[in-house]
Amino acid sequence: MKRNWPIFFIFSVFIAGGDWSAHSDVRPTYYFYNTETNINNFASLKMGFDIYLVNHGGYFLQPFDLRENFEAVIHEKKGDIYLLSSWHLKELQRKKVPLEIALVGTSKGNTTQRKVLSAKKDIVNFAMLKNTVVAAAGSDEYVHSVLKQILGKEQEALLKDIKILIVPKDIDAVMAVGFGMATAAISAESGLDKLAMMNPNQFKELHSLGFSEKDYLLIAATLKKPDQQETQLLEVLRKMSEEEAGEANLKMLGIDGWRAVQ
Amino acid sequence: MKPINFYNVFILLAVFFAGTGFAQSNKILIVNSEKTVFRYEKIATEFKKVLQQNAYSWTEFNLDDHANADADLKQLVQQENPALIYCIGTQAYSLARNVAPNKKLLFSAAINWRRLDVGVGTYGIANELSSAQEMSLLHYFFPTIKTIGLLYSDKFSREYVETIKKDALNSGINIINKSINDAQEISEVLNDLLPQIDMFWIISDPVVLSNKESVRQIFQAAQQQNKPVYAYSDVYIEQGAVLAISADIATIGRQSAGLAMMVDQGKVPAGTVQSPAGSTVTLNKCALDALKLQFNQDALDSVNKIVGCEQ
Repeated sequence: MKRNWPIFFIFSVFIAGGDWSAHSDVRPTYYFYNTETNINNFASLKMGFDIYLVNHGGYFLQPFDLRENFEAVIHEKKGDIYLLSSWHLKELQRKKVPLEIALVGTSKGNTTQRKVLSAKKDIVNFAMLKNTVVAAAGSDEYVHSVLKQILGKEQEALLKDIKILIVPKDIDAVMAVGFGMATAAISAESGLDKLAMMNPNQFKELHSLGFSEKDYLLIAATLKKPDQQETQLLEVLRKMSEEEAGEANLKMLGIDGWRAVQ
Repeated sequence: MKPINFYNVFILLAVFFAGTGFAQSNKILIVNSEKTVFRYEKIATEFKKVLQQNAYSWTEFNLDDHANADADLKQLVQQENPALIYCIGTQAYSLARNVAPNKKLLFSAAINWRRLDVGVGTYGIANELSSAQEMSLLHYFFPTIKTIGLLYSDKFSREYVETIKKDALNSGINIINKSINDAQEISEVLNDLLPQIDMFWIISDPVVLSNKESVRQIFQAAQQQNKPVYAYSDVYIEQGAVLAISADIATIGRQSAGLAMMVDQGKVPAGTVQSPAGSTVTLNKCALDALKLQFNQDALDSVNKIVGCEQ
């Protein structure tokens, strides 16, 4: 019974969250959108974060499933913390949005990851991907961008002859190859580690055709040098991994901690 | 100046259009069993998005808009002459198969597609994940689970259970299966089965799940013996299943569109039916905590919905 009031409060905010602009100018909030996944776990994510945050500053998490809405918040809100992918951050910086990295997510001690294009061993080069299906998680734009980078200038023309199948998450992409729904998959390297654990036989059948450049995992960014409130928000975020409930929330984001960039 | 030979030009054009598949002939006909069903409409929406991105066009026919759907569909097929008919739901497929038996058909959202009257020109995306996909994901979430038990009826699920057993071996899991002929046998068989297993798996078997009482019996017995229950659908989460894994609806729509385009290009063997490539995972944290059951925390980024005790 003790937890009923905060939960009621969180739900009332969640419902209000449908119209984020109604409350976003008064409550310190973490805004979240990830181009690298299509997993629709926002309700659980918000619930988990908000329950944790009730006792850690009373802040909120506002996840977004549409990039335009998330970017509108950045353009209009001018404050608080933005959780986004490294690729998305660079895209925004290219458009002169003054986002700066405050913290980078960590996973098993790493702050960076590569994307890997993997296929069964009978697919020996990029050219064999012509007129095939490549499975990947993430937004269309992001997946095309990563595939273009992996293919490189010489094979870029292949892009138009490859059909991308967008799936919810990395493990769906790598399993799609093993189960014959796709010829190749783009996933984080950790996606292949997961496959090795889930289905060792399928993992053994795959090999890597190419890699993207290394990039940061999830990023926590601010629009300016953090003020006192933003510094507090970042500190709460940084310490989340020190508590079980906080760490479980981070795991939902695919990370296990945060680190300041040197 | 040499006059243009219109006859030759006509032949060249005809060859060009015939060789470029139905992208040029413009026609994919989408037949939706019932557009008011969220699941069907979501699939249709995602299907159309992918077609649009790839410059394909389509015509739609919703069964619930037509009092005389048979005749209307037949007329539309004759009028539009689609190269492929995409059928969402069993009803749409049955009707299309009936009125256009010689057309290429692609189905999705058809429960237990193996019972459909499938012809040579039929392609599909199954409604359910394959047992191998489920087993892999199950093993990922609960790597310590070694023995799983299930009940089934020989009449309806014998082949499916054989497949599960084969797939389980690849994941290092042992399946103990017990066949029943009537739901009234459930309690007695469970008493014997549950002590031998680490987890109980509810499969979609019409005899085992013939009524609410049989479902209640399964969960009650499992709870009494502290055994977690895994289910093929999240409708069992409320009753206490620790994990449910099912196919992602939006992916089915996108995958269907991809398959339709591959059929167009002649890149798919006739009769191809694929398993869904996307999954939806629901984890019951409340039930897990009550059972003190450990799960792979690193798998949390693959969960769509976490259910707590307060929900």
